[in-house]
Amino acid sequence: MILTPNILARLVAILVGGVILQLSFFSQVALFHVSPDLLPALVVVLGLLGGSLTGAVCGFWAGFLLDCLLIVPLGGGSLVLLATGYLAGTFRERFEIHSPLVPPLLCMGLTLFAELGFGAVELMLGFDAPVSALVIRDVLLKSVFAFFGGWAIYVGVRRALRPALVEEPMVRRGRRPTVLGV
Amino acid sequence: MYRKQVRRRRAVLALLIVGSFALLTATYGQGSDGVQRGVSAIFNPILSVADRALKPARDLVNWFDETFEAKGRNERLQRELETAREQAVGGKAALAENEQLKKLVGLDESGAIPSGYTPVTGRVIARSPTVWFADVMIDVGSGDGVEVDDPVVNGDGLVGTVAAVTGGSAQVTLIADHSSAISAKIVPSGIQGLMKPAVGDPDDLILDFLDSEKRVGKGQSVVTSGWRAQGIESGYPPNLPIGEVVEASLLEQEAQQQVHIRPFADLRNLDVVQVLTGGSRG
Repeated sequence: MILTPNILARLVAILVGGVILQLSFFSQVALFHVSPDLLPALVVVLGLLGGSLTGAVCGFWAGFLLDCLLIVPLGGGSLVLLATGYLAGTFRERFEIHSPLVPPLLCMGLTLFAELGFGAVELMLGFDAPVSALVIRDVLLKSVFAFFGGWAIYVGVRRALRPALVEEPMVRRGRRPTVLGV
Repeated sequence: MYRKQVRRRRAVLALLIVGSFALLTATYGQGSDGVQRGVSAIFNPILSVADRALKPARDLVNWFDETFEAKGRNERLQRELETAREQAVGGKAALAENEQLKKLVGLDESGAIPSGYTPVTGRVIARSPTVWFADVMIDVGSGDGVEVDDPVVNGDGLVGTVAAVTGGSAQVTLIADHSSAISAKIVPSGIQGLMKPAVGDPDDLILDFLDSEKRVGKGQSVVTSGWRAQGIESGYPPNLPIGEVVEASLLEQEAQQQVHIRPFADLRNLDVVQVLTGGSRG
């Protein structure tokens, strides 16, 4: 990703907008009794488009803002989301898989990772209540929502950051010759 | 050149990880610090505007969710309505008697808000996205008289307690959060216990350590016990409604001394809440 002041401003706007939308909309709606958590998906998309460092930095600041606005101990959200963004970016750097299913599948998998990560951080900080089996349903459904949401986020963020993306030019595939050569 | 890049990348990553752990260590158990207060002061008006602007869209999505659920609820509600009709007649008589008794002892007209507490109404402007902690942000803070540990209620019953405050906002830890523990009692039997949540299911609270040989029955109401002993007292005033017993198997009561409670307040869909400020503190 080529970082210019303009692109940096767009990144900040995407992150701040994403966190605000998550807290004031997605966290307060329920589909099948589960609220979608699309913040990990946003960080995954930024990692996919910008690489591991961009993903990690964006994840860190998204988590920091989330923790600040929820007035919870700082650092937990940052740690989980920076790991999420880093893993998404590393995937992009290590594997040459070009499929339209990569962003949504990665969003789904890494949202699962992030939700378990949030749980691990809470366990690390002290957790003395029984855990309902419904947590599994909640975490899995959040991942499914991230699959669908991730696809939309990928399309939107890619469009917003298009001038900064380093991509191979699209090669237009020619028509295959027919038997008659027409 | 490439090695330098890799080294720089690793350094930034290490810095971020160390920074996260440093922040965790520095801020854990401290409530809100200066940075959070500053960020909250900047973003709370934006959150508040976004909350109001997005309410119609939220209501639409929630309407779909509730429609699915409503089908299943219909039958149960029909049965409950029949029972409620039968109880209504007796209830009216009890209400009239209660009003007289209240006048006799000089209590407030409604008795819903415990004496000495001043309710401050606020709106939920944000909610934690993960299942592991159940917190909401409300748009009233220390500027409105809200203090840490103030109980929070809505029209249905107890919702949670204030965990941290800034000038114009407060973090409310819901009763479904893993850190929540409330001393509660079953009415009318008065059996006391400690109420803890089952993390991940806000409709299931567990009343544990029941200190009685008496049996608890399904449908009994649970309220805060509001104890006071040796100069210290519960953070919750007595008799705030919490929920009703929905599961009270004999086995569970005898083996684990616990029953399951469904909260009266719909903790998934909170909109307007009241913080009970003031009151006596031990």
